[in-house]
Amino acid sequence: MAVSSKAIKTRIKSVKNTKKITKAMELVSAAKMRKAVDATLQARLYATLAQQLMERLSELQEPNYPLFEQRPVKKILMILISSNRGLCGSFNGNVMKFGKRLLEDKKNLAAHRGPDGQSTPPGAGDIDVEVLGIGRKSAAFAKKNDLELIEVYDSLGDSPDIDDAIHISKNVTEKFKTGTYDKVVVLFTHFASSLTQTVKVRQLLPVAKAEVDKLLTEFPNKDHIGELAPDNRPIETYFLEPSRDAIFDIVIPRLIDVQVYQALLESAASEHSARMVAMKNASEAASEMIDALTLAFNKARQAAITQEIAEIAGGAAALE
Amino acid sequence: MEFKVVTPHGVTYNDTIEKVTVPTLAGALTILDQHAPIVSVLAAGEMVIHRMDGSTVDVAVSGGIMEIVSSGAVYIMADTAERAEEIDISRAEAAKKRAEELLTQQKNIADVDFARIQASIEKELARISIGKKYRKL
Repeated sequence: MAVSSKAIKTRIKSVKNTKKITKAMELVSAAKMRKAVDATLQARLYATLAQQLMERLSELQEPNYPLFEQRPVKKILMILISSNRGLCGSFNGNVMKFGKRLLEDKKNLAAHRGPDGQSTPPGAGDIDVEVLGIGRKSAAFAKKNDLELIEVYDSLGDSPDIDDAIHISKNVTEKFKTGTYDKVVVLFTHFASSLTQTVKVRQLLPVAKAEVDKLLTEFPNKDHIGELAPDNRPIETYFLEPSRDAIFDIVIPRLIDVQVYQALLESAASEHSARMVAMKNASEAASEMIDALTLAFNKARQAAITQEIAEIAGGAAALE
Repeated sequence: MEFKVVTPHGVTYNDTIEKVTVPTLAGALTILDQHAPIVSVLAAGEMVIHRMDGSTVDVAVSGGIMEIVSSGAVYIMADTAERAEEIDISRAEAAKKRAEELLTQQKNIADVDFARIQASIEKELARISIGKKYRKL
């Protein structure tokens, strides 16, 4: 017997078991992805309203708010959103590749961008980059690129909550205000569809109008907002209670929260869909393997029977 | 008038209503149709919505912003908003108790923590009072 049919049988069994697991993981990831996408859409109306309000309030006068302040950039904080677990295809690899490319051109990363796209290059001197990681895999990135890792959030779970986002955004806002960092960017995976995800970088602080616009135009589904009443009345005629600055104090941190929340959700959706696709491929590969093994098993079995017949025939011929 | 309550979790309420009483930092404010445009900061408390058919809906909010635009539409951007029937009183009470314990236990806590705990007590109080009102009806 060329190949032991028993060995092949055990092999088929183990591949079948693996396939069951990958299939289950595929379905679970699909459900989790849907949940994350839903939450993204739910947060959209809130983000739209908050952004419109901020835009109109800033018509009043050039806002002199600490979170708008564009300082010469010396130190950048990079929020890197990765996953906690593996088995999600190239999801983490893509984030890290993109991050590495950004690090090669720190000057560009440090430049401030105006509303119409012109950029102000940073001052001379070295630019320092530190990492705030989300998901366990982000630690590997910081280590590989020799960056200071200030914190890792690794208990966000599969569907991030707005409270997690608030916690993170408060943390970084505080660090920006005290001048520890002159710029905060977030690196996340934009969820275009379950098949295409691209890694993107977005500036969180200082708050820039262009960045908030991007947040709103890049939502996966635009018709979710519904109709909002148009508002053409000049903002000067509005009653502002208690004051414009007090309102800024509430609206701007909320916008940052929503931006972080959005990045978390999109990354979660991307992670789950990357895992879903990876698991789908694994299930398909397992099916192919089972087919090939079954063929080999049948051949081996047939060979064994043929050999036995040949032996019997040989034995009978010897008796005559 | 058009009325929307939105939170980061989604839209809590979206309807045409008669009037609404909103807790703001400057005290409760009742908004009727054709109100002048205003932007105001919300306080944690109860919001009472009077529907077109005369019935009322209570919503517990924990702070945020109210905006009335020139068309008279009212938008509430709340941090959290819960309708009375969604509130679990026993859980709200437990949460309030926890917050109070935290306050008494740690005498030398930072101002930031103090403010945060204070805010959460206010929020839970609003939830409890709305939840109770709803159960009595």
